[in-house]
Amino acid sequence: MRVVKWLVGTVTAAGLALAAPAQAQEEIVLGGSIPMTGVFAFAGVGIHAGIQDYVKIVNDAGGIKGRKIRYVFEDTAYKPDVSVAAFKKLTGSHKVSLYYGDSTAFSKTINPELERMGTILMAGASFATEINDPQKYPMQFMAGPDYSEQIGILLRYVANEKPGARVAIVYSDSEFGRDPVEEFREQSKKLGLTVATEIMTPPGSVDVSTEVIKLRRANPDYTIFHGYVLAPIPQFVQQLKAAGSKSKFMGSFWTMDHSTVMKMGEAGDGFMGVMPYRYYYDDSAKAPMLEKIRRMRPEYQSTPYLQGFLTAMLLTEAAKRTLEAGKPLTGKNLKAALNSIRDFDTGGIIGVPITIKGNSIPVGRIYRADMKAQKMVPVSDWIRLD
Amino acid sequence: MRIGTAKETYFADEALFDTRTQRVWLFVLAALLAVFPFVASQYWLYLACLVAINVIAATGLNILTGYTGLVSLGQAAFMGVGAYTVAVLERRWGTPFLLNLLAGGAVAMVVGMVFGVPSLRVKGLYLAIATIAASFILHFIFANWTAVSGGTAGLTVPPANLLGLALDSEFRSYWLIVPIAALMVLGAANLFRTRIGRAFIAIRDRDISAEVLGIPLLRYKLLSFGIASFYAGVAGGLWAYFFRSVTPESFPLIMSIFFLACIIVGGMGTTLGSILGAAFMTLVPEGLKLAFGWLPNAEAMAVHLAPVRTMVFGALIVGFLIFEPHGLAEMWRRTRRFFHLWPFRT
Amino acid sequence: MIDWLLFLEVSLAGLGGGGLYALAGLAFVLIYKATRVVNLAIGEMLMIGAYFFFAAATDLGWPIGLAIVAALVASGLTGGLIERLLIRPMLGESPISVFMITVGLSSILVGLVELVWGADQLRLPEFMPTSPVLIGEAMVAPKIFYGFLVAAALIASVLILFRYWRGGVALRATASDRAAAYAMGIDVPRVFSLTWVLAAAVAAVAGIVVGSISSLSPTMGIFGLSVLVVVIVGGLDSVLGALVGGLLVGLVEAWTGTYLGGEYKMLATFTLLVLVLMIRPYGLFGTHEIERL
Repeated sequence: MRVVKWLVGTVTAAGLALAAPAQAQEEIVLGGSIPMTGVFAFAGVGIHAGIQDYVKIVNDAGGIKGRKIRYVFEDTAYKPDVSVAAFKKLTGSHKVSLYYGDSTAFSKTINPELERMGTILMAGASFATEINDPQKYPMQFMAGPDYSEQIGILLRYVANEKPGARVAIVYSDSEFGRDPVEEFREQSKKLGLTVATEIMTPPGSVDVSTEVIKLRRANPDYTIFHGYVLAPIPQFVQQLKAAGSKSKFMGSFWTMDHSTVMKMGEAGDGFMGVMPYRYYYDDSAKAPMLEKIRRMRPEYQSTPYLQGFLTAMLLTEAAKRTLEAGKPLTGKNLKAALNSIRDFDTGGIIGVPITIKGNSIPVGRIYRADMKAQKMVPVSDWIRLD
Repeated sequence: MRIGTAKETYFADEALFDTRTQRVWLFVLAALLAVFPFVASQYWLYLACLVAINVIAATGLNILTGYTGLVSLGQAAFMGVGAYTVAVLERRWGTPFLLNLLAGGAVAMVVGMVFGVPSLRVKGLYLAIATIAASFILHFIFANWTAVSGGTAGLTVPPANLLGLALDSEFRSYWLIVPIAALMVLGAANLFRTRIGRAFIAIRDRDISAEVLGIPLLRYKLLSFGIASFYAGVAGGLWAYFFRSVTPESFPLIMSIFFLACIIVGGMGTTLGSILGAAFMTLVPEGLKLAFGWLPNAEAMAVHLAPVRTMVFGALIVGFLIFEPHGLAEMWRRTRRFFHLWPFRT
Repeated sequence: MIDWLLFLEVSLAGLGGGGLYALAGLAFVLIYKATRVVNLAIGEMLMIGAYFFFAAATDLGWPIGLAIVAALVASGLTGGLIERLLIRPMLGESPISVFMITVGLSSILVGLVELVWGADQLRLPEFMPTSPVLIGEAMVAPKIFYGFLVAAALIASVLILFRYWRGGVALRATASDRAAAYAMGIDVPRVFSLTWVLAAAVAAVAGIVVGSISSLSPTMGIFGLSVLVVVIVGGLDSVLGALVGGLLVGLVEAWTGTYLGGEYKMLATFTLLVLVLMIRPYGLFGTHEIERL
């Protein structure tokens, strides 16, 4: 027993000795579970670059109240358990105040831990409706509209374009896919739209021709896809167009990156979707922050890049406001500071000033694919759900 | 032959830990495990808990596959059953965690045996494929029995509560998970000193002769299935307490394959194998990550980590099957044998 | 009131999808018949074939016809390599060990593909006609229709090969009695290699069709799990069984998907599997050799 005590004592002392300089340091640490590899890598690489760039911009400008931001990350391969391990590793070796999480599963898993620690404000790649609940997720937020709100924005647009239109939703049998379906039903009703059909596809299903048959018979004016990145959307679009369907097709955030939509080829022409950020090449209005990005990186940057960039911007903004108020960086203070954001200018990344009341930013715009110009072009104004 | 292990009674021969050295080392190990949480960082504690949970599930699978000779690809799904049981009990009634874990194990056992009945009509590889079916059917139930399982969104689990102390940090969870794991492993080791365990081995070695010897095949195979599922259920329950969130996607088929890999790499039909295998396979990805960090162009190479990890996982299964079919346990034993007579013979 | 046209269209789509299952099932059965290996990596073999095609057609920019041939050759070689490196050393080991080798193999293949081509979804070049095919009043998706034709042609030619080609006869002889085949002077190890080469090539065809219907990704191997159901239903060692089983599973999936909903598809498939295992474990056309308790 004495041995144990001695061991504990020595080790604790050693730990304190090590920890002491860490406390004196001025850096604010932004940690990240980033899916650099695996099925979500297309987004993870962009997110990583976006966070990196914004952190660099802040640090080049002298940091926040003289304190530099340090971005530390671990690759997760988009696996929740690896992601949790990364979180433990990063929070174990750094005094992390801000965090980027990579999936809904991770956000949910880590939530009790966040509340227990009470020192971190987290945002991430998940736009799950469930997380948009300040009561249940008091130390998290998302840099955009949640999935239900994304569908709401799409429906708002449809109701505007063609009142009483027939709308259909095609979604994957996963948490991601099922997320906004209820909201889809309710909003359609509220907006006076007719639900033509709801079709669920099993995850990883290869052949969707039976679903195509069902969808064709439902004869929708607008079809919304949710819960996919790419496949099986092109198959649906192609087969329906070939069969003479007049439906227009729409997608939600993770489908809408330029490169993903362009992979649909000819059939993807006219594909629409909701996007809370301006595309990299969208120069329809003045956007100083986008210009800065274009100067830093002359080649196209994906929408996940912008998502990471904006998330880093909001996280640091919360830290800045907390420090300015002279408060310590705790999860609660950070979140309160975040919610104090009113009519905030994102430098044109989001086209309208934003206000963060709860855990999300319910703003978006409809873009449409123009295959000839190989560009996504805006077809609506910024739509705000308030 | 070892020196100084002359046994005078059958009892001594059957003892689990038969030499003094062994007992001393075991004591040292226990002491190390007890000291570990005070010295290790949060990250290592996290890994230790994960290893312990995987050890339980792998031990269960080893009873079924390694000792009884029945291959199952449903271990993760049965773990899911245990996890959901614990989650529901803890959320609805807040019953004590030991009871919940037992219930988790018991429900998993029953479900495992239900799936065992149809699949036990067939042998060998047919059984393996049938358990894949079990894993899909259970996934469907998790995802669609919304009233109980919370649907695809799953359930969040309150922390286990020990005399008013919430076991919510790694440090505290460690004291829940590791002792239970030790207990379960000890239970498994003891199982094979009983009639039941020996019956399992007889079935594995030659089922027809086993039947001739008076072992009712169906009953014992079902029992083996049940025990394996019980272990999975308890592991799943601990998993639920540890991660505090259970979703249908938490227990994919690849996880069952992972457990199978654990016992292949560790050594089938040995308790030590389950422990070594589960620890090794859990730590390999972390080791790889570390190794990748040492590469000169670490930043650029990081992109290749996940595919390399997948390949190493597969290569370990294949490599051990071809070159070291008895797994790490055999390597361990070889090393030990070497030191028994060292330095008198090298 | 049943909408018969819908039923007809759905059934046709199901048969079309079933054709693909049958094709992949054929690759599985070939291997099982000759070498008694239950190959869990069948889905991944499809995948690697499709990626070879992608590499030839898109990365190298070869014309489609040449790219298909190149993919078949490359896959065949890979199949042969797998047999020599992984399966041959396990000759005489318990079938369970060999089965687990294929489990490991599937991980190796997935990792390899991800390492070379990344984890993103890729689209194969369009090479099939895109206008829908009309059968009576029913409309059938073109890719499914042509995919079905390819599957049917390939299965028919394999059946003919088995019947008349020397190698086919050797393969059947090996399948029915390995020792007797040795005694008759058949080079059994060569037959093993040959089957793996052939099966990998067939899998590649299936993979190319499947990949062009949806898209390419390292998770494509999930398709292989449904193939396991197909071959169990049809009988592990029956080519005809693979065909019938494939069509049956395709139909069941199409019907449940349409009338119950997408989430029931997998459930229906695997319930079918459990039922077959209980009632007729050797499958519809398999050899009655399975031992029961």
